[in-house]
Amino acid sequence: MKKTILVVDDFASIRDFVCETLQRKGYETLGASNGNEAFKVLTEKNDSINLVLTDYNMPDCTGFELLKKIKENPAVSKVPVVFLTTESNPDKMRSAKEAGLSAWIKKPYRSETFFAQIENAISNG
Amino acid sequence: MLSAMDSNQKRFVEDALDLLNELDEGLLQLEANPQASAPLEQVFRTMHTIKGGANMFGFENIGELAHHLETLYDLVRQGKMPVSDGLISITLHAFDKVRDLLQEKDASKIANAESLKDHLKIAVQFLKSVETESASSVSNGSNSAITKDELATFFIRVSPTISMTPDGNHPLVFIIQDLEALGTAKTFCYKRGDATVIHWDIFLSTTTAQPEIESYFLFVENECKVEYSKLLASDLFSSDEFRQFIEQFEAAPVTVDVLQEVVKKLAATVENKTEHEAETEEPNAAGKKKFNDTYIKVSKRKIDDLLNWISELIILQAQLVNATSHINSVEITEVTEQLEMITSRLRDTSLEIGLVPIETLVTKFKRLVRDLSKTLNKKVNFLSEGAETEMDKDVIELMAEPMIHIIRNCIDHGIESPADRKMMGKSEHGTVKLKAFNSSSYVNIIISDDGKGINRESVLKKAIERGLVTADAVLTEEETLSLIFHPGLSTASTVSDVSGRGVGMDVVKQKINDLRGYVSIKSTPGKGTSIHIKLPLSRSIIEGLLVKVEETRYVVPLNVIDRIDRISYDTLIRDNHVNKTVVVNEEILPVFSLRKKFHNETAVPKTTDIISVTVNGVKKGIAVDRIEGKMQTVMKPLGDVYQHQDFIAGSTILGDGSLALVLDPARLFQLSEN
Repeated sequence: MKKTILVVDDFASIRDFVCETLQRKGYETLGASNGNEAFKVLTEKNDSINLVLTDYNMPDCTGFELLKKIKENPAVSKVPVVFLTTESNPDKMRSAKEAGLSAWIKKPYRSETFFAQIENAISNG
Repeated sequence: MLSAMDSNQKRFVEDALDLLNELDEGLLQLEANPQASAPLEQVFRTMHTIKGGANMFGFENIGELAHHLETLYDLVRQGKMPVSDGLISITLHAFDKVRDLLQEKDASKIANAESLKDHLKIAVQFLKSVETESASSVSNGSNSAITKDELATFFIRVSPTISMTPDGNHPLVFIIQDLEALGTAKTFCYKRGDATVIHWDIFLSTTTAQPEIESYFLFVENECKVEYSKLLASDLFSSDEFRQFIEQFEAAPVTVDVLQEVVKKLAATVENKTEHEAETEEPNAAGKKKFNDTYIKVSKRKIDDLLNWISELIILQAQLVNATSHINSVEITEVTEQLEMITSRLRDTSLEIGLVPIETLVTKFKRLVRDLSKTLNKKVNFLSEGAETEMDKDVIELMAEPMIHIIRNCIDHGIESPADRKMMGKSEHGTVKLKAFNSSSYVNIIISDDGKGINRESVLKKAIERGLVTADAVLTEEETLSLIFHPGLSTASTVSDVSGRGVGMDVVKQKINDLRGYVSIKSTPGKGTSIHIKLPLSRSIIEGLLVKVEETRYVVPLNVIDRIDRISYDTLIRDNHVNKTVVVNEEILPVFSLRKKFHNETAVPKTTDIISVTVNGVKKGIAVDRIEGKMQTVMKPLGDVYQHQDFIAGSTILGDGSLALVLDPARLFQLSEN
């Protein structure tokens, strides 16, 4: 079965680009433009989403807030979350890790790193 | 070579242009209010997004520029430098260039554009000057000055704790590759007989700080062990000896002790190459700010829906009061009273949701003034007062154009050239001022300049030339000035790019009228002009007094009412609907009788209630048959046919399902004067 990835980015062109890249690799994708929207999509379709790939810096509900929401909600806490961001602050990375983040992919990314991290996150949770 | 943009790049450009506008606004807000953290955060975040997008879609030059500027603002964020005019200026100019560049249709032209280089240089220079400044002024504590990441050579040993091959698909393999890309690197991979990795040894010289290097391994912590040794605070790869020395480890791994020993010897020979580009991927951005009040973006449609439902609720609540009024039950009264209170709170809160500070407008104007004054070679200061005044978002959007027009006129026609101003003994800098404030349920906006004022004779002459008024007409000062709102009248002798096409002020007036607002103009020759705009705060819900004339109900907006008196109907003189000599509360009050104007006088009541209102500073009275009570009401527009009956602001549905007309007192009196 195809794996489904929920892509969260407030910047529509990046979101679409990431979705297309993932689709070409054979993933199904869903999009959301901020953390709140993403969380809603996730809770509605939680059985069918295998991974949440989100930006860090977003207005309203940041990637980190989304991560915490997901991990604190037993219904969806098993879904792995990966950040895709230009942010590279080690402190932020560490607290995200502690909050249950599966991987932190830095933008711009190399496609091998990108897919390796995603595959790894999906299979290991 | 022409490379057309792919659809993703096109999307990016569109989004980026929007972001650039947001950035502009943020920057101008920041300029106006350098201590404010909200615009700073906005500027930072917007730049960050532009950077990310640009790098992603192959516009590294834009990404690099954004990165350097972002670095500067991050320093501001960390409180290591203040917001200065210089900083705002270089940022505005740099992103103006980016905006220009993004108009380009050819992706490769954007990506290879040289034009950003200058701005990049400026940004880097700026950063350097800030660094030297802070280095000289601040003692070099660990977290006081800007921490510039030192170029250093690391020895990193990565030992996987799970079985993997160097050509496998484990993220670690790619992390090693990413790490190599951080600088000059040499990696040795030691394998077991079955081709699984024992460990990788990486020699890396980089400006990336150790905590950041460590962060690369954060998410594979359970799959590997990483040891770091900082060999030297310098680039060892610049030494031939070192490069030759590490070649021998191809065969067998080195121990850290041996390595340290050799490096010590080499250190003397290695030039201390600390000179490098300001790379500031800050290792410890500890000073992150949290805000108490958070904001969410909500679609306008949802708010409109909410307001609509609340308006229905208010009607329903009124109906309930009406329907239960004859029931003599304490319980029901209690419930209806509670309901009334809660609906009214709900109304207030929901109204506030739609209100936003006019600050966004103000920043737009700042930019406008800044750009315009340059184009016209005038020196103009823009002052704003009361930018926090809140207004309906729709109204703000509708008012943007008219106000831009007014400000343009101020600068183009109002403010004199610096030389002229000097001659007249004024300061070379002209001032355009925007003042906003609330008064009852109105928002007042006054735009004024200290320019040459409006030449009344010239306005009058033009108006006569164009047949707008007759040559022998006697006009008051105000009437003459208000001619500038007449379609097709422009007083500029030459038409400029900026203003003076003769369309505009009439449109301004029309727009304000449409919003049920008022506009008035005052001007003193040689001293300046001021335009006063008064707009209703909300367009839909008002508090009013329900009154009855014959069988028709009207609503008089409560905010204009001063007092109510009951007098004998006979006091109103019969033949005119306006009686100027009615004495109410021992004062002479011009009274407008609704009955005399709109209804017949067959069965007149014995008494009449006079509602005293203050409109545009003048006290007047409205005579009605009877006052039914106070109510809050949702205004619904009248049908298209009645759109130009402007003394009626709208209609409302009462609790019993019948209709009442909401009066607009100011316009009602205008009607009476004509």
